[in-house]
Amino acid sequence: MTLRSYLKRESTRRQALVTGYVVPDSSRCVQCGICSYNCPIDIDVRRHAWVGHPIKDKHCLTCGECVNRCPRGVLQFERTNIFDADKLNIEDI
Amino acid sequence: MARFIIVGTGAAGISAAEAIRDRSSAAEIILIGDEAAGFYSRPGLAYYITQEVPKSQLFPFTKKDIQNLHLQIINARATSIDAQAHTIMLHDGRKLSYDRLLIATGSNAALPSLPSAKNLQGIVKLDTYEDAQNIRKLSKRARAAVVIGGGITALEIVEGLQTSGVKTHYFLRGDRYWSNVLDETESRIVEHRLQEDGVKIHYNTEEQEIIGKRGKVIGVRTKAGNQIKCNIVAYAIGIRPRTQLAKSIGIKTERGILVDQYMKTDTPDIFAAGDVAQVFDPYSGQYIIDSLWGPARLQGRIAGLNMLGESLTYTKGVPFNVTRLAGLTTTIIGMVGFGTDVDLDGIARGDSETWRQLPDAIACQQSFDINHLRLQIGSKKILGAIVMGDQTLSQPLRHLVSQQVDITAIKDQLLKPKAPIADVVATFWTEWRTQHDIQ
Repeated sequence: MTLRSYLKRESTRRQALVTGYVVPDSSRCVQCGICSYNCPIDIDVRRHAWVGHPIKDKHCLTCGECVNRCPRGVLQFERTNIFDADKLNIEDI
Repeated sequence: MARFIIVGTGAAGISAAEAIRDRSSAAEIILIGDEAAGFYSRPGLAYYITQEVPKSQLFPFTKKDIQNLHLQIINARATSIDAQAHTIMLHDGRKLSYDRLLIATGSNAALPSLPSAKNLQGIVKLDTYEDAQNIRKLSKRARAAVVIGGGITALEIVEGLQTSGVKTHYFLRGDRYWSNVLDETESRIVEHRLQEDGVKIHYNTEEQEIIGKRGKVIGVRTKAGNQIKCNIVAYAIGIRPRTQLAKSIGIKTERGILVDQYMKTDTPDIFAAGDVAQVFDPYSGQYIIDSLWGPARLQGRIAGLNMLGESLTYTKGVPFNVTRLAGLTTTIIGMVGFGTDVDLDGIARGDSETWRQLPDAIACQQSFDINHLRLQIGSKKILGAIVMGDQTLSQPLRHLVSQQVDITAIKDQLLKPKAPIADVVATFWTEWRTQHDIQ
């Protein structure tokens, strides 16, 4: 991986982090633990779903592994809309 | 200091304990459970037997979590209650006094009455953590298995056995799968996928005898006289709410323990929640049992808070479940079927009696490849829906059904022959959510 592509990936990840996060729909969750098991950095996603909190863990890579693996569609990536990409002009940063 | 005793360590029991602790740091909370495993994800057992999660992942709460909640968990079986004296007896002779008691004993898998099915190694069910371990253990050596029953649990077992490389025969007493919840097209989609995975479906087939040798299962003889060699016979023929404790002291029961909107039984200071509770359903005017995780959690929470003296009411919502049928993600919402299914006695796990209460309604459906969508349209609203495969409309439909949204504006479009109902609903939903500011 070139430095340029690495930086590009990092920039995309950070951009994703400021624009949204994974949000659980607790009413669909049965606590099977597949999400936590598949999280590459061991975030306890399942506990977030139990208490109904978005995964605001600063280490979250927003890789989507938990979202894809959940057999019941509990998790979704949601934009926070706090930072509007146009106003922030993220592409120019 | 008040003492709260909760019989049962499942989703309802734990939710009640958590709710009590939320409001009272001083309350003494004791949970009594007859499973050594304590609190685990019962629906998660399906993913354990398909080897998608390891055993350790089945426990949502660590020992530390339990300690932090200051819960005392006693691994014992509650045998009787003295409601007058406010005491409960355990199988080992211990007697505990309580101020408020919650019965959250859940349900048990029903077992066959065949005399030949007694005491043979290889006869299994998928009910508890121990059962799941047993299935995993037996699958390692088994060559073939026969699965008998219906509903979600039967397919969970089929999938688990297939994953372990066990040749699986699936007996259906009738001519299609889950006939009182799914329509014929949906049953055929599921059956076709099972067959593609190598499962042999035996229609109109009932077991006559389980054949054993040296204490182990070696085959099944059908009523038609055929014999199938197998090392495992798995039953998923329905569940029974565990009402014995309540019945023994005359608490009012029907199929489950009857509770009012506060989750109270007819006996002072005794509450019930979860699979064992039969709750009032305002939609049908009847008392209904749901064997679903979500309602169990909510009922447990409300019961817990009311045990502390609050007066919260439980309103039974539209039951829904997201599950996997032959590997196909499927959402079942509201009223979608009716009648009985010969493969199930009552309901199974992850099930609701409401799903079988379909009144007069017109069905409209659309299929594309493996994706299938069915809506049950009433006079002004959608009464129920089944979403198989693509789950884009799962959440919107849950909202439209549970909120009883008036869909008169699109009813004609939906009922036209070959109508693109997925597109019609999607467009309607986009407008609706914008107008009502729904995320």
